[in-house]
Amino acid sequence: MKQILMGNDAIALGLIHAGVDMVSGYPGTPSSEILGNFQKFRDKFKLEAYAQWATNEKVGFEVAYAGAISGKRTCATMKQVGLNVASDPLMSASYIGLKGAMLLISCDDPGFYSSQTEQDSRSFAKFARIPVLDPSTPQEAYDMVKLGVELSHQFESIVMLRPVMRVSHAREICEVDDSLHVKANQGNFERNIPRWGAVPPAGRFRQGLEQIDRLEAIKAWNWDHLIKPKTHALKGENVLCLTSGTGDGYVREAISELDIHADVLKLDMPYPLPKEKLEELFVHYNKVIVFEESFPCIEEQLSSPKLYGKLTKHVHVIDEFSKDKVLSAFANAGVIAPSHAYKSEKYTEELPKRPPNMCPGCPHRDVHYAITKVFKKKKSIYTSDIGCYTLGLNQAAIDTILCMGASISMASGFSISDPDKTVIATIGDSTFMHSGVAPLINAVYQNHKFILVILDNSTTAMTGRQTTPERTNPHQIDIKRIVEGCGVSCHEYVYVQDINKTVDFMKSLHEMYKTATAPVVAVVREFCVLDRENAMGRLGNVTVEVDEDKCVACDSCITNYKCPPMHYNDAGKMEIDPFLCAGCGSCLDVICPTDAFVKKEEK
Amino acid sequence: MKYQIVIAGIGGQGAVFLVKVLSIASALAHQKCLGTENHGMSQRGGSVSCYVKIGDFYAPAIDEGQADLLIALEGNEALRNIQYLNKDKGVIVMNAPKNFPKVSFETHSVDAFKKAKANEFPIDALNVYMLGVTLALDPHFPFSCKEIEEAITQMNAKVAEKNIVVLHQGINDAKDKK
Ligand code: SF4
Ligand code: SF4
Repeated sequence: MKQILMGNDAIALGLIHAGVDMVSGYPGTPSSEILGNFQKFRDKFKLEAYAQWATNEKVGFEVAYAGAISGKRTCATMKQVGLNVASDPLMSASYIGLKGAMLLISCDDPGFYSSQTEQDSRSFAKFARIPVLDPSTPQEAYDMVKLGVELSHQFESIVMLRPVMRVSHAREICEVDDSLHVKANQGNFERNIPRWGAVPPAGRFRQGLEQIDRLEAIKAWNWDHLIKPKTHALKGENVLCLTSGTGDGYVREAISELDIHADVLKLDMPYPLPKEKLEELFVHYNKVIVFEESFPCIEEQLSSPKLYGKLTKHVHVIDEFSKDKVLSAFANAGVIAPSHAYKSEKYTEELPKRPPNMCPGCPHRDVHYAITKVFKKKKSIYTSDIGCYTLGLNQAAIDTILCMGASISMASGFSISDPDKTVIATIGDSTFMHSGVAPLINAVYQNHKFILVILDNSTTAMTGRQTTPERTNPHQIDIKRIVEGCGVSCHEYVYVQDINKTVDFMKSLHEMYKTATAPVVAVVREFCVLDRENAMGRLGNVTVEVDEDKCVACDSCITNYKCPPMHYNDAGKMEIDPFLCAGCGSCLDVICPTDAFVKKEEK
Repeated sequence: MKYQIVIAGIGGQGAVFLVKVLSIASALAHQKCLGTENHGMSQRGGSVSCYVKIGDFYAPAIDEGQADLLIALEGNEALRNIQYLNKDKGVIVMNAPKNFPKVSFETHSVDAFKKAKANEFPIDALNVYMLGVTLALDPHFPFSCKEIEEAITQMNAKVAEKNIVVLHQGINDAKDKK
C-alpha cells in the first residue's frame, strides 16, 4: 500500500509492522516525532504497546533494554547528542546482548540545524561494536526498521538505525505493508545471572569475546545479504563511489545530471564492514571515493591507496552534503575538472536577520529580561541550558550553554571560581528532570551559593511539546517538592504578563541571595504559547503599537527584549508586526525608556 | 517529469502545510515526490524553508541553481533563497509590497499582507492564498486546480471548504492582475 510519509512517520509505522511493542526515549530534534507517531499508529490500530517519554535518554535506553532482555521487541529513540547520555548503558548492553530485539534509533543532524554538535552516531555504533543501518530516504527508513529488528533478534545484538535530519524530516510516497499481523508480545525474564548480571572480569571477558564473534558473523551477513547482491549492478567504470545514507542520493543525482562516469555502491550497513571482501572489489577501479555523512566511519574501516575521502581531505569534513560538495570531491580526486554547476548568485544586499528567537508572548523572554534587569551584566554570570530558553542568547541573557543539566553544575563551578559575581542559572522543567536534579543535590550538599531559576512550562516545548513527568502526573511529581527533597526551599512565582511583577520577583530573589549560604532556588510557573491546553486563558489580548513621535530608535527594546514582531520601518522607527504579535502586552511597561509602546486595541 | 519547488517564509506562516499538500498532490498525479521541512530551532517568526522535488530524485535537499519555482510567503525570504532558482527558467511567486527590489527572474508578486489587513482573507490562510496565486500565474506548475483541491481536502476535510474558498480568491486576484 502506498502512503505519503515523513521519515519519522515511516519509522514509527515500521516499528509497528516489525512487531515492536515497547518504545521509550527522550525528545530531540530531528528524532522527536518517532515516539509520538508510534503512539498515534498504536491508537489507530488499537494495539497494546508501551510508548512513553523517559526522563532522559539513559533512562529511556535502560527501560527498552530491560524489555528486550525479557524477550520483547523494543526500541529506544533519541538524537545524536542524547546518545551521549545513553552511552553508558549502551557500552555494557553491547557486551551482554539480548533475547528479544532492540532497535536503537539515534537521529543525526549534519549541518547543525538544531544541535550543538555534528556527531556521527555510526561512529558511536562502531565504538560500541553494534551494527548500524543508514537509511537514505523515508522508504528505506521504513524497510530498515523492519530489517534492523529482525537482525537484532537473529544476532541477539542491539541494532542501531541512524537516520539524519534529511531522512527524518523528508516526505516521500512509501510502499508499506498492507495489513497488520502484529500482536503485543509477552515478556518473560529468565534468570541468568552469569549473563545479565555479569561482573568483571571473568563474565564480561567472555562476553567481550562473544561480541567479537558476533561482529564477524554480522560482517559476513552484511556481505552476503546487503553488499554482494548490489555488486552485480556495477558497470565497470574507472571510479567507484562508496556511499551511505543520504550521501547516496546526492551522488546519484549529481552523476546522472552531469553525466559523470562512476559506479555507485551503497552500503546500507556502514558498520561492521567486510573489509577484505570490499577491498577485493577495488582492484577493478582506479579510484574509490567515499561519500558519507558526517564522520569518516566507512573510510576508517578500509585501507587502500586508491581510497579518497574525508581522511585524505578530498571530501568536506563538516556540514551536510550537497551536490556541490559531491562535485568538489570528484574534482579534488581528479575525476572531473572543477565545476560550478550547483552554484548560483546570492542576493547580496542586507536582509533582516531572523536568528532563532522565542515566540512572541513567550514567558521565557520576560524572565530573561527581568534577570538581566535585576542582575547587572558586569556583576553576574548567566548559565543556561538546552531548551527554548536557550534562545535568551538573543537578549544577551545567557553566558554559557554546554549540555543538558550543565547550567546547574557550571553555576556551582562559577560560584567557586569567581565568587564576586552572582551566578544565575536558568533551566527548563524537562531539562531539570533530565539532568538537573543530580547537580542540584551536589550544590546543596556542598553549599554552593548561586541562584537557580527553573522555568516550568510543563512541556518539552522546543522539540514539539512532548509531555513531561509532571504534566502526566502533576500531583505526584512536582518540581517544588523535588527541590525541597534535595534539601533546599523552593520559591514559587506564577507568571503573569506584567513584566513589572516578574522583575519584582527577581528582586526578591536578589534580596534572599544576599544572606544565603546555599543555592537560592525558584520555580516560575509558566506556559508555552503554542500549548493550547495550558495557555488557554493565560494569553494576552492587547495589540501594541508604537508612538512614532516618542520612538527615538535607541535599540533598547530590540536588543534587550527582542520580540519577533519588533522591527524598524522605513521611517527608522520601531514598528510592531500585527500578524506576529501574540498580544501579551509585556512590552508596554518597562522595556522602552521613552514609553513609546502604546496599547492599540483589545483583541 | 522533474520539477523542484522551494517554499520560503517565516515560522508560523504554514510553509510545512504546503509541503504536505504538494506531496499529496504528487501522489494524486502519480508522480514520485521527495519533500523536506527544516524543523528545529526556528520558532514563530524565524526563517523557514522547505523543498519539494517532484519526479525522479534521490536526495531530499535542493541545490543552488536548481529550483523551477520559489514560493515566498514573505518578500525578504524570497531574496534570501533566490540562489536556489534555476538561472534559465526559475519563477518566483511572492507576497511582497509594490516597492520591492527587482530581481532577474520572472516574478509574480501580490501584497497579501495588505489584503489580509483589509480582511480580504484570514491571515492564517496566507499559505493557501499564495498557492492559488501560483496556480494562476506559473504556467509550468505541475498540478491542476482539481488536484490541489483534492489534496487540501485529504489534508484536513474539516477546514477544506474554507481553504478552498481562499485558494480561489488567490486564483481570481492573480488573474485580475494579469
Ligand atoms: S515554543 Fe513555547 S516555550 Fe518555546 S519559545 Fe515558543 S512559546 Fe516559548
Ligand atoms: S505585545 Fe509586545 S512583547 Fe508582546 S508579543 Fe506583542 S510585540 Fe511582543
